[in-house]
Amino acid sequence: MTNLKRLATSAILGAATFAYAGTALAQTELSFWSWRQEDVKAYNQIIAAFEEQNPDISVTFTAHEAKSYNTILTTALAGGAGPDIMHTRSYGSLEAIAAPGYLEPLDGQIDLSALSADELLGTTLRADGHVYAVPFASQTALVFYNKDLFEKHNVDVPATWEEFKAAADAFKQNNVNPLANGIADGWTAEVMAGALMPNFYGKEFFGEVTSGSADFEDPRFVGALEKIAELKDYMPTGYEGVDYATMKQLFIAGQAAMFVGGSFEIPGFVESGVNFDIMPAPAAKAGDERMVATWLDGGYGVNASSENKEAALKFIQFTATQPFAQMLSDKLANVPAVDGAVIADPMLAKVSAFHAEASPYIMLVGFRFNTPTGSTLLQNGLQELLTGKKTAAEVAKDVSDGIKSAK
Amino acid sequence: MSTLTEENYKSASVRRKRLRQLWIAFLLFPAVTILATFVFLPMISAIWYSVYEWDGLVRGDFVGLANFAEVLFNPQSNKFLFNAFFNNVKVFVTLMIVQNGLALALALLLAREPKGYRFYQVVFFLPVILSTVIIGFQWKLFLNPIFGLVNTFLRMVELDSWALPWLGLPETALGSMLIVNAWHWVGFPTLVFLAAIHRIPKDLIEAARLDGASEWNIARDIIWPLMAPAVTIIVVLTFIGSFNWFEIPYIMGGLEGSPAYSTDMLGLLFYRTAFGSVSAGNSDFGTGSALAVLIFIFIFTFSTIATRYLTSREVELS
Amino acid sequence: MAQIELRGVTKQFGDVKVIHGADLVIEGNEFVVFVGPSGCGKSTLLRLLSGLEEQTAGEIYIDGERIDHLPPAKRGLAMVFQSYALYPHMTVFENMSYALRVAKKSKAFIAEKVGEAAETLQLTELLDRKPKALSGGQRQRVAIGRAIVRDPRVFLFDEPLSNLDAKLRVQMRIELTNLHQQLKTTMIYVTHDQVEAMTMADKIVVMRSGNIEQVGAPLELFKKPANKFVAGFIGSPAMNFFDGHVTKIDNQYHQIRLANGVEFVCKLSNQKLSVNDRVHLGLRPESLTPNVKGDGTFKGTSSTVERLGAQTYIYLKTEIGEDIIVHHLGDLEIKSGESIEVSFNIAECHLFGPDEQRIEIDG
Repeated sequence: MTNLKRLATSAILGAATFAYAGTALAQTELSFWSWRQEDVKAYNQIIAAFEEQNPDISVTFTAHEAKSYNTILTTALAGGAGPDIMHTRSYGSLEAIAAPGYLEPLDGQIDLSALSADELLGTTLRADGHVYAVPFASQTALVFYNKDLFEKHNVDVPATWEEFKAAADAFKQNNVNPLANGIADGWTAEVMAGALMPNFYGKEFFGEVTSGSADFEDPRFVGALEKIAELKDYMPTGYEGVDYATMKQLFIAGQAAMFVGGSFEIPGFVESGVNFDIMPAPAAKAGDERMVATWLDGGYGVNASSENKEAALKFIQFTATQPFAQMLSDKLANVPAVDGAVIADPMLAKVSAFHAEASPYIMLVGFRFNTPTGSTLLQNGLQELLTGKKTAAEVAKDVSDGIKSAK
Repeated sequence: MSTLTEENYKSASVRRKRLRQLWIAFLLFPAVTILATFVFLPMISAIWYSVYEWDGLVRGDFVGLANFAEVLFNPQSNKFLFNAFFNNVKVFVTLMIVQNGLALALALLLAREPKGYRFYQVVFFLPVILSTVIIGFQWKLFLNPIFGLVNTFLRMVELDSWALPWLGLPETALGSMLIVNAWHWVGFPTLVFLAAIHRIPKDLIEAARLDGASEWNIARDIIWPLMAPAVTIIVVLTFIGSFNWFEIPYIMGGLEGSPAYSTDMLGLLFYRTAFGSVSAGNSDFGTGSALAVLIFIFIFTFSTIATRYLTSREVELS
Repeated sequence: MAQIELRGVTKQFGDVKVIHGADLVIEGNEFVVFVGPSGCGKSTLLRLLSGLEEQTAGEIYIDGERIDHLPPAKRGLAMVFQSYALYPHMTVFENMSYALRVAKKSKAFIAEKVGEAAETLQLTELLDRKPKALSGGQRQRVAIGRAIVRDPRVFLFDEPLSNLDAKLRVQMRIELTNLHQQLKTTMIYVTHDQVEAMTMADKIVVMRSGNIEQVGAPLELFKKPANKFVAGFIGSPAMNFFDGHVTKIDNQYHQIRLANGVEFVCKLSNQKLSVNDRVHLGLRPESLTPNVKGDGTFKGTSSTVERLGAQTYIYLKTEIGEDIIVHHLGDLEIKSGESIEVSFNIAECHLFGPDEQRIEIDG
């Protein structure tokens, strides 16, 4: 009996001590959601740096599955169970959560001076002009090439479309897949077309098509699509069924000489050990501009109904500063949106340099606000174009009609 | 004295009756609760959602049947609806012929109890208990045009021209998925058919055999009509399964019914519309719910009609 | 008019032998009954004939033509199953015509054939009904009708009456007998009920554990059972048996002493019995008469007395605990518990040797 009493007493005491300790270390706990499952380690390091400066705040980073992140996030926000801080997508996907008021407007509350107006556009709600997230990194669509294969088969790195096709033919003759790209996953087809088309439709097209003075049936766009159709001959056998994973495998294994993709592939390719380099998409002809397509990947936003808004804003302010940008560049091999970071990685520096001649990644930046999105239309159109179901003109008309009907 | 006992008896029987009712209510409670929470509630809320305008996840104004009109009559949306619907029809017809036809053939074979039939019974049923997600991914790998087992095999036997990008061509993608689905599920109808065949008294088959019926006659004239209840179940389940088909096309073709919407299904279309996707656009609960309600009405109506019709041709085995 | 012959027909299921080389000749037009306790192999023998089972060894002939390798339908046999095996989804007409439809006979021919059979079996009114809407007797007739329309050389019946109630069974027995006379075909009928066998058969085949014990006309089996088993199986109530042994042999005169102490002498020619050999005495209940002197007398106490007016059954227990059933024609005023004497005449005795085979008594 006495034993039992003693035990109970000590249990109560223990619980009390624990509770006391809890209050002593009282902290604001912030939850941080993301779709970057591959970046958990780096983010925890970045967060540790933040927590060092702000001992009263602790941040817990949770990465969800990328494909369903939007659904998970919007459902949670609608149900009032969202995180304090979150990775947001940009453009249309940002508007989807900013428009209903789930996000805290940031302009005026934090200092956004380290960001360019162009980059802020990706996280601004067009309806009210407020900025709802701090842009974190830009992505670039470009061409990766296997240096060893070019050397081995004595092929020159192409600068123009003609050279590109000549190089591709040379690889083909040597039984090397010129391109790793397939179209089984619609979005990889969009990235491929997004990287290559701007040099054909030109610098002005984006502005004209977004303002409405031109549409997608424009000969410039049709012409660009026709060039894409020519790629059929250079993609792997069975490219219709080649998905993203297979594409990467082909390039990493040295079975394909080139890979048209996003700059987000760089860390993976570096890690795989493949001896590669990058270049902007080939120019239409010698002397023409050689642009890369760029877009803002996303931003960091604050939940408008967060109970720890002050702490959350503190963290978001941190993401808009140079030290954060530096870490983003160093640890995550991203081209940070925030100015002032010194890009140490030569590959990233190269990407950054390509931005001198750049065109917006057309469908994401311009046409993902309504349904059907430009991306959906183009991805489907590309699959039809590259499986020979439709001609470039027919695809262009479908895209154009779709965009005009979108709401 | 006698009336008193009668009354006692009566009140006892009333008590018993009440206790019985209470017991029934108690037993029904969990099932009704689960049904209400996971079936009726979502159904009612879907109907509720479908008559409002939605801005993402925020409910807007009451719009009546506008969402339904949008889904059914706007040429930009209904072309997806019709495309998906006809794909579902293709799925139903193909599964009826390929999956259930094969199941019937297997059941007829197994019912004759050939050597090792118990082993085969297990083998055919095994894929049914595997997870659809795993099967989808596994077969996606098998069907990979370059590294996949299927094409590697075809090239090995020098059928290079047959080594197609199965999941990449609009002509072959849906068919490939249906074969995978048939492989996954064929054991289930086989088992149901087999059980139905086993339920037919042996005497009937023997009587037919003495009557001079060939194996084909026996299958067509005796076994087939007498397994009608099993056929009803399988046809209705296949119908519902076909029009709710989601996992395999989602895993193997993606949310957009790739390639070029050739594997788009009502389920995928609903998911894209209601919840949005990275490239397809933003979520729209209004039209999404309208679509869900339409799909539900269609499946409910047709499976009810089919059940009525099919049940009418069933015979009791005396 | 089909003659059937079985030569050394053997059936084995795995390691279990269920028919041990059956030899049997059935004459054309005979009504033959296979009878025996359940598990004796009678149904198996029928199924071997029908072709539903394949024999392990031996040969089967119909009218001299070997048929044991033919599929069931080609043997020219029709079978009526214990369960009737009517197709539940078909009407009576469809049930009866199925064999003809499968054989692709003309519509007119089918209608005529079925009509005829339906007439014979009084089924004309029922042709549009499904089996579910028929009584047991009607179903039975449909099953027979289905067999008739095929004009088989041989009818096989597998315990066809066992699902009917007693009254209907008697009626159907008569109908079947009449049908046999009408159709003049060979019929083979399997039953475990010896009354059915006795009343219907031209020839009875008694079977036990896969062996044919005796083949013969009903009264032949009753009067001269070949062995103790047949003696006990045929006749109702069953024969009473008493164990005993030979105590003295004087020329052909054998003195036999039963276990209950009763002694008697009988003349047995052609016997190789020796003193002390075990024998079994069989006496039918009707061969025992109470309160009359005979060649031998049993004392017993009646345990139960059934007085039916025209006849009386007395159940006795002897001093050593043997049970005896006595069948007396006419009424007899005996109370249960009463001690009585019953006696027998040598002429009505059945004697079975140590091998349980029949021993002929000459007097």
